Amino acid sequence: MTALLQVRNLTKRYFGLTAVDDVSFDVEAGAIVGLIGPNGSGKSTSIDCLSGFQPADGGRWSLAGVDLTALAPHRIARAGLTRSFQTVRAYDELTLLENLQVAAQENDEIGWLPSLLHGAKVRAAEAAAEARARDLLATVGLADYADAPAAILSYGQRKLLAIAASIMSRPRLVVLDEPVAGVNPTMVRRIEAVIRKLNEEGATLVIVEHNVDFIMSLCRRVIVLDQGAKIADGPPSLIRSDPRVLAAYLGKAGAEEAAHG
Amino acid sequence: MSRRGLLLAVIAGLVALFAVPLLTDNDYVLALGISFAAMSVLAGGLNLVWGYTGLLSFAQVGFFGIGAYAAVLLVVDLGWSLWAAVAAGAALSVAVALLVGYSSLRLSRHAFAIVSLSFALLCAIVARDWPDLTRGSMGIPGLPPPTLTLPGLRWRIVDPADFYYLLMGFAVIAHGLIYVVVTSRLGRAMRAIKLNEPLAQSQGVNPLSYRLLALSLSAALSGVVGGLFVFYLTIIDPSIFDFYYTETMLISVVIGGPGSFWGVLASSAVMAALPDLLRFTTDLRMVLYGVALIAAMLVFPGGIGGWLYRRRLARWRRPQSQLQPQPPQPKAAP
Repeated sequence: MTALLQVRNLTKRYFGLTAVDDVSFDVEAGAIVGLIGPNGSGKSTSIDCLSGFQPADGGRWSLAGVDLTALAPHRIARAGLTRSFQTVRAYDELTLLENLQVAAQENDEIGWLPSLLHGAKVRAAEAAAEARARDLLATVGLADYADAPAAILSYGQRKLLAIAASIMSRPRLVVLDEPVAGVNPTMVRRIEAVIRKLNEEGATLVIVEHNVDFIMSLCRRVIVLDQGAKIADGPPSLIRSDPRVLAAYLGKAGAEEAAHG
Repeated sequence: MSRRGLLLAVIAGLVALFAVPLLTDNDYVLALGISFAAMSVLAGGLNLVWGYTGLLSFAQVGFFGIGAYAAVLLVVDLGWSLWAAVAAGAALSVAVALLVGYSSLRLSRHAFAIVSLSFALLCAIVARDWPDLTRGSMGIPGLPPPTLTLPGLRWRIVDPADFYYLLMGFAVIAHGLIYVVVTSRLGRAMRAIKLNEPLAQSQGVNPLSYRLLALSLSAALSGVVGGLFVFYLTIIDPSIFDFYYTETMLISVVIGGPGSFWGVLASSAVMAALPDLLRFTTDLRMVLYGVALIAAMLVFPGGIGGWLYRRRLARWRRPQSQLQPQPPQPKAAP
């Protein structure tokens, strides 16, 4: 059986700098995979390429056998790969409900004319989307604000809304870019619980994070990037003691100290 | 306002608008109404493009003028019926809009703003420097009153009251169409594109197609208005592409609030009346006009729509304690 997401030899260069260097990995359906690495290791660039926001200079990737290489972002999203953003994004002037409804409406194959005529099919699709949106808002604990503009949310609440939005269209795979960066510890635990719940309900997630403890407790598999290259890939227990990972995070001397001390 | 209240208000407004020519044959009042009808559709089109999809467009006056020139030339030179000529003019405007939009939006929305401005200026130059087609800067004066033919009806549009009904009737249709679009899920996607383009893309929304849709619809409506309004002016010349129209549209949308359907409609009405309300003092007229605009921007930054939005925000922020998710209540002792 082939993996859900297959990434082969992904490469991205900025002039002389190779930001992502020949990275290959698979993600199995139903997994939560962590993607970690020090600053500038190419995590964000990798997912910008995979989601179509940056053109890759090399490599191919596919989702459930469908080649996504060089597609526009909206096509990649419609193919079932969605993402959240490190700088948390929301439609401030739209209500939370509308924020989520937008996230689903390009996936129901309803054309422009029927959308304008607002017939039975559209009403049914909108009602279904609203029901799902309310469910998700309840899951992330924002149900009371369903009709409020997203602008009133706190930073942590916006992160929760972004997670709900990225899962709204029932994508095959979700990439969360730093879901807990800059969030207080209580909110971190809440976000962790939400991610676990979504995973139990069948979502496949790739999580990019700086917060190593968060990743180690959430993921059964972790991929480590350093200076654009993949240096480790395995369960958290092995990653924690991998000498190359320690060297990347702590420097060579630090790694030796950690190994001996 | 409730949906029922809104419907009643709209019906009352329509009845009042259509009763005006019955109550007065004052040409001045009718002229104000005609100008409101025409300008409000141009502003509504700009609002659709700029207020909803986030594209600052200076091209609208080009669509207006192309619709006007096409209608005049087809009626005067080729003897087409007004219907067919106006429809052809609108179609030409849409084709040009798609060309301008598709070529520049592949770069960025900033490129679009610049290309749209160049396009509008280019229109005026072509109108002036292609005399074989457009009669150059002299234009075509003394346009004949057009005739609209419907099955069983021949309507010669001569009096200001006729033009009032013609343009007001089309304005109602145009605003109805815009309203349907902006309140549909397409309008929701357009607002999403304006508010956060990368987020919309990451959710499968294709900004280019929605923007071209908004641009085409606005070009069609502006083109039709041009084709009808020009016969009321009874002359066409390159000043149909004048910056005055762009300025009026921009002010209407800014004061109304980009992305606010009712706000822009209301400000279009005010903008149609304001220059004439200030006519009592010819010397200070433009000064007062400027003062009114500055006052509007100070009191309503973000326009009427922005003011309504801030009120909505404040309503959600104020009773914070009541809106906080309630902690589970301890069960009462049995």
